[in-house]
Amino acid sequence: MKSAPLVAVIQFPGSNCEYETARAVRSSGMDSCIYRWNQWRELRDSQPDAYVLPGGFSFQDRIRAGAVAAKERIMDLVFSEAADGKPVLGICNGAQILVESGMVPGWEKGRIETALAANHISGRSGYLSGWIFLHTTTRAQQICPWLGMTGNGVIPLPIAHAEGRFVFSEENHYRAESSAALKYCDEKGIESSDYPINPNGSFLNLAGVMNEYGNVLAMMPHPERAFWMWQLPPWIPGEWGDRRDESLSSGSHAAAKGPGSVFFMSLADYFRGER
Amino acid sequence: MKDVSIIVSLKSPDPAAMTAMSTFRRIYPAKCPDNLLRYDHWRFMNPGQGTETVSGIVSRYHDIVNPNKQTWSYIDEFNKPSDLSDDGMVWIDVLVTDRIDSVSENWTAILRRSSCEIDGVLCSVLWRFGFASGISCDDARNRVLDLTASTYRDHGLLANPVSQKIDLPAPLRI
Repeated sequence: MKSAPLVAVIQFPGSNCEYETARAVRSSGMDSCIYRWNQWRELRDSQPDAYVLPGGFSFQDRIRAGAVAAKERIMDLVFSEAADGKPVLGICNGAQILVESGMVPGWEKGRIETALAANHISGRSGYLSGWIFLHTTTRAQQICPWLGMTGNGVIPLPIAHAEGRFVFSEENHYRAESSAALKYCDEKGIESSDYPINPNGSFLNLAGVMNEYGNVLAMMPHPERAFWMWQLPPWIPGEWGDRRDESLSSGSHAAAKGPGSVFFMSLADYFRGER
Repeated sequence: MKDVSIIVSLKSPDPAAMTAMSTFRRIYPAKCPDNLLRYDHWRFMNPGQGTETVSGIVSRYHDIVNPNKQTWSYIDEFNKPSDLSDDGMVWIDVLVTDRIDSVSENWTAILRRSSCEIDGVLCSVLWRFGFASGISCDDARNRVLDLTASTYRDHGLLANPVSQKIDLPAPLRI
């Protein structure tokens, strides 16, 4: 019998954030276990309550980021569990896998309706690493188990990707907003399509996209890299900057939870039935 | 003046092509090609002195062709690599190009800044599917389209049509 909800973290060849992701899950009061991509039987038999696809470079990003992992047999299981309503989170490369699996936005079952294309920024190309600010859409806060505690504030998180630009076919532009979960904004919460506020040229300033029911979330920023307050750089302004300063002056800095924790704590809350 | 295109390949076996082949074998065994090659494809638009301008660019910028690990050749207007010999196979070429591409834009800017006589650069990936004889060109083209366009989770691999353009030049029997 499970003492706490079990969150499965799936490791593909080339994943590199599985351990910190699993630690973030455990530090939020849930249980976590890392399953390799070829352990689909073990994954099936352990009956996890939720799934996380962590960041990294699955299959070395060969062909296209996330494209090969999306075809793996273990994703059949994740796909069917998501269809049954279990929470699934894809972070960065995990988000790319969810997109290439057709799990977000999921308007038509299994159809690939969006892409995480190469960053498009005037005068530069390639890999981008830094801190961004985002806010959660109202609908996502209401229906997404990963976002229930995010509130209306601005959340600073790190990004690190070369292919993070959400794009949709022109015929789907009208309904892209309905799948919006997280949007890039400045430190005051004001959206802009300009770099560096929108760091990659993403359509509608999208940092995260969910499926129709909100249980599947694909996000490019890394919440597990901002789980603890000490991971926040000193220049971060706003509410989280103030909290950081407060934790430093009160001596609670080492144990204080950072902005990335709200995603995992939201899931724990969801399992406790508080959301 | 016309455009000049080159293809660039690794001297060692291409890991992306090997991964694509093994994925095809696993998920589409009936449609799998007998050979699959991958090249970087660079199209130089209206180079002032034609191939002379292009060879100057290639020898100057090792980000386009790194001579330590890559080889390159021109391809003719039918997209037929000029250095491939007749091997009795049916070869179908697919060109995959990002609909919006910072790399092409930035290389165009770099080359213009360096006073190259050129209108622009377009980077793509060229995949060459080889099928053993016995298959018609039409069948081969249909297979290649199925294998390339990733429209559903269980359909296609090499290009996501939401963000990438897929071009199939006329089939070649090399």
